[in-house]
Amino acid sequence: MVEASAATLVPHGTVERGARHWWHDYTVMVLWHLASLRMWLVTLTVVQLLAGVGFVLGISLFFAHIPTTAALFVSTGVPVVNLLTVGMILGPQLVADQRSNGSYEYLRSMPVSRSVAAAAWYTVCLIGGVPAMVVALGVAQLRYDLPLHVSPMIVPAVLLTSFAGTMLGYALGHAIGSPMATRMITQLLVFVVFGFAPVLYPLSQMPRWLGAVNWWLPFRQMAVVTRAALTPGGHAAVMSAYVVLGAWAIVCAALAGRALGRRP
Amino acid sequence: MTAGVVGARPRHVPQTELRSGVGYWVASLASMMRFDYGRVRQWVPMMIVIQTLMGAGMALLYGFFYPHITAIRALYITTGAPTLALVPVGFVMLPGTVAEQKLEGTFDYIWSLPSPRSAQAASTFTLFTLFALPGSVFALLVAAWRYDVHLALSPLLVPAVLLCALMAITVGYGMALAIPNPMVTNVVTNALMFVVLLFSPIVYPASQLPAWLATVHYFLPFYNMAVVIRAGLTSGLVAHVAISFVVLAAWTAAGAAATAWVVGHRR
Repeated sequence: MVEASAATLVPHGTVERGARHWWHDYTVMVLWHLASLRMWLVTLTVVQLLAGVGFVLGISLFFAHIPTTAALFVSTGVPVVNLLTVGMILGPQLVADQRSNGSYEYLRSMPVSRSVAAAAWYTVCLIGGVPAMVVALGVAQLRYDLPLHVSPMIVPAVLLTSFAGTMLGYALGHAIGSPMATRMITQLLVFVVFGFAPVLYPLSQMPRWLGAVNWWLPFRQMAVVTRAALTPGGHAAVMSAYVVLGAWAIVCAALAGRALGRRP
Repeated sequence: MTAGVVGARPRHVPQTELRSGVGYWVASLASMMRFDYGRVRQWVPMMIVIQTLMGAGMALLYGFFYPHITAIRALYITTGAPTLALVPVGFVMLPGTVAEQKLEGTFDYIWSLPSPRSAQAASTFTLFTLFALPGSVFALLVAAWRYDVHLALSPLLVPAVLLCALMAITVGYGMALAIPNPMVTNVVTNALMFVVLLFSPIVYPASQLPAWLATVHYFLPFYNMAVVIRAGLTSGLVAHVAISFVVLAAWTAAGAAATAWVVGHRR
């Protein structure tokens, strides 16, 4: 940029920095996402509600008489699934679609910084995940009469779980160029989260080596922090779970930031 | 057509003219099968892998949900695995393929070919039924190995698996043709998978369902698929196998009728 003109001429589409601008850009981007994705968000909310409630109710069919532990694990695992669905599974697929139909470059040309874009998307993911999570928990409580005890720690647990999932999805969506590969990986992730991570059932029911592998992955830790905030009693592994989850969130955010590149 | 009066209609028979007759139909079927196979050849190994992962993966995954896997639970999960592997081929992959063909225009191209459309449909049914078989065998082997289950194979297994595969493919194809919008097809297939994986008595006995849901499943294909395949793999575990065969045959006929109804209308 030529120095002489910089003072007088701000080229159209240049990011303006500073807290006030950041907040303005952020609100505009959130509103922009909500407006452009309104149909998608309505469909998404319905699907999320059906899937969450469906899982909570459907699991009882697997047993002649469902043990309370099984019901408790599924009911406190479904919130994690709800929170991950938007940011980690549908988000990358949305980016893949945008790459296929060309709106991706248009979105990237918007004059907002990377942090604004990420924060706005994170907010949209929370809006898409939290209501379904609340409804699923309510239905679980009605159906199974569970010993749930919601502690204030639910706030950081939900925020961090959603943040780590959204950043993982953000990194996947923006760092992987091929839409086809993105779709394959996210579908594989669905399989892993639902079945091969101790999210919906206790760790003791999976082979020991698979549990050990899961310690390094974020999903087991997401379930630990969320479950600790929803059930009474002390939970030993919560601190280490927050640390592992936090590390995943930071690494994924850094990867996503690198893939997006600094906006001039 | 023989050479007739000079100055009459040109003797040239256009290549696109629709001919008929049993011989022509069989020849069309053979060439359509070569055409279809050539198109999907590169995807066949991947299809079989996905299907095996789906069937075997689901069989392993269901086991994680139980605190104790009793012998009867292991038997139900193992004998449900081939059914779980057959469902996605017919109800997800085939409609997905048709939806993609509609979007990229291949579908119209195939319909414009001078072969009877019934031969085109029959070619799809035959090929996909054959593709569906290896994955379900692999899924059964993985599940039997994981849960250490001893099976009692009976000759009934052959017609059972063939009918299940044919039914899933016929109904999936009929559905894909009858629903004009590919997006709607996509939603329907995903919803179906959810119903199949959670709310269908495939890996657990129907007696665990509420009575009304069990009644609904007597008329839907999924429970009946599990019954006939389980009857071919075990002895004494299931009853009323003949009724299940009839229900499956009825669904196959319905799928074929839907297909015939759509392909019979020339646009």
